[in-house]
Amino acid sequence: MRARPVRIDQVIPSIVERDAVSHHTLEAQRVLHSMGFVSEVYARNMGPGLQGRVHLLEELPREGPEHQWVCYQASIGSPAAEAFASHPGLKLLDYHNISPAELVERWLPHLGEEVRLGRKQLAEMAPIVELAFADSEFNRLELEEVGYRQSTVAPLMVDTTNFNCLPDERLVERFAKERAGGGHDWLFVGQMLPHKAHQDVIKAFACARKLFDPKARLHLVGRASCPAYADALHRFATALGLSRAVHFAGSVSAAELAAYYTSADVLVCCSDHEGFCAPLLEAMHHKLPIVAYGATAVPETVLDAGIVLASKSPVLVAAAVQRVLSDPGLRAQLIEAGLERARAFSIEAARRGFATAIERVLQAS
Amino acid sequence: MTAKVVAQIEEQVLELRSQGVVPDGFEDELEACFEQAAEAALNSGSVPLKDLGGNVNPSVGGALGLGGLARQATVLLRRRLGPSLRRVERRSVIGAARAAETTWLQVHVAVDHLERVAARSVPASRVLSVLRPRELAGAAAEATHVAIEGALLTWVLDRLSATAGVPGPVLHAESGDGSIVEALVARGLDVRGADPRLSVRAGGATSTVAAGALEYLGAAPSGTLSGLLLTGVVDRLRPGAARALAQLAARSLAPGGVVVLVGARPEVVVAIDPVAADLSPGRPIHPVTWCHLLAHFGLSELTIFEMDASEPDIFAVSARCPSPEREDTDRSSP
Repeated sequence: MRARPVRIDQVIPSIVERDAVSHHTLEAQRVLHSMGFVSEVYARNMGPGLQGRVHLLEELPREGPEHQWVCYQASIGSPAAEAFASHPGLKLLDYHNISPAELVERWLPHLGEEVRLGRKQLAEMAPIVELAFADSEFNRLELEEVGYRQSTVAPLMVDTTNFNCLPDERLVERFAKERAGGGHDWLFVGQMLPHKAHQDVIKAFACARKLFDPKARLHLVGRASCPAYADALHRFATALGLSRAVHFAGSVSAAELAAYYTSADVLVCCSDHEGFCAPLLEAMHHKLPIVAYGATAVPETVLDAGIVLASKSPVLVAAAVQRVLSDPGLRAQLIEAGLERARAFSIEAARRGFATAIERVLQAS
Repeated sequence: MTAKVVAQIEEQVLELRSQGVVPDGFEDELEACFEQAAEAALNSGSVPLKDLGGNVNPSVGGALGLGGLARQATVLLRRRLGPSLRRVERRSVIGAARAAETTWLQVHVAVDHLERVAARSVPASRVLSVLRPRELAGAAAEATHVAIEGALLTWVLDRLSATAGVPGPVLHAESGDGSIVEALVARGLDVRGADPRLSVRAGGATSTVAAGALEYLGAAPSGTLSGLLLTGVVDRLRPGAARALAQLAARSLAPGGVVVLVGARPEVVVAIDPVAADLSPGRPIHPVTWCHLLAHFGLSELTIFEMDASEPDIFAVSARCPSPEREDTDRSSP
């Protein structure tokens, strides 16, 4: 049995509020505290609102493995990885996947460089990491591929504070008025980044309006993190004559997000790359049926709680959405399965999973 | 179950295609249309209207700067000239204002970080000295190191010890070398320290965390502190931050909890270095003004500690968060 360290600290390249990996990191800190460890989070960059809860990376104590373990939250290339790699303590790594450069570099060349660096650093750290956690089996297999000897799945500790937020009434009323004129509401939630493939949702939506549901509306919720990509999506919707039907909501409050989830008829996800995809879980919680392209970790997250497609041909996605909207029995089954699936990802279960992974390292000889 | 449904959907799509319901080349046209939009967007270098109107990404706003945003707004105005001009103008102005607010916040966060890094990093110290003239930073630092000793120390410790039965720890922000934390611990109190300066924290209390007062209190849950001692930060707040500090202090206290502020008298700071006082990021605040702010945010039992002749340069103020029991008692009094 390994000596129990006094502290298990976490290192993260950047931490901001309302971000899945950042929230997971702060939850992990709570779990570590509850296990009796001193635990602080050290970040190279931090967003407003986190000062005081998170420390600068320069302040990371450097003690040996008998006193200190360090856990790196890996999701992008960063000099923070070098600080982690050179640390004398025992090393753990929590992998949230890194988008392939080819999916983003056309739009964000600097991000392409960062994710390329991230994958390089991930491989370089394999020999020095004692145990790696992955928030999906898909991610764990990637770790194995690049040489991690010991890895385990520890689910993402998803921010559930939004889940029970009361929907914004004004927005709900607006949706109800629009709905009175006919047509269904499609929803996709995710930052406007190229690997989320919003354009494929718009393509499928255009097909659906043409073939099945001429008054349908599409709501795209999420921060425009890549201005050029967001611009292209606006231009695309306008060129298709859908500028009034496609609503770019941007970043919204928790109450507004709840209004979108509760008022929409279907969540459509055509992402090319997801290490987990928290909005799928949010949709399940809000009893919103899912139609998704089965890329990367999406099938594993959804299982049978949604329609998962092997192709995202616009007509196929449109037909799948139409089936969900027009088959009440199927819709009810998906909602029920979604609620069951969401329970499997409860915060309590995820916290237990993380604690178990830490115990596993402690008990290793 | 879903595999069977997917198979049915795929079959339906094949039928639609074979019946010609889906026009030939329709999906290719969609792809080509997006490619055109993508090329146009990548070549224009503009940001979409929505970004300027309602959802400025902090990193984007920071990277573009105000000049960049103004250029983008001009492009958009040109593009949208016509009946909707007034609406676009309004949205652009709101967007630019939000971007300016974001940039302002980023600058202050960056300076905060630099202050913390500067304690051990020569390059960061150099950057900081450009952002804040050395003599002003020196004067501010001097003013923030008021010594709490003698009668003042006893008064501060007594005030903070008078919180028996109030749940939660006492926080000392900014706690420096931790000597007051230790004095409070010696009185049997559960005490935390917070200080952003690594150099002064070294060797201090183990429960000290790296954070400024505003940072710590901004992140702390409401009503969780039995006591709060504010030193240092009181003398070098940025404009508007005094109000925020008073509000955060009031919010963080549990009912019955006590806040104590200790600072340098403004007239003393002005007398020592009027230029530094006038040009420093925040104006030194009189004790009576602190009382006004703390009362404004619901605190009561306001007391100003009057120094004796040996310590005329320092003031202290204390206030208490009203507890329901205390209020009930007051109401039942004749």
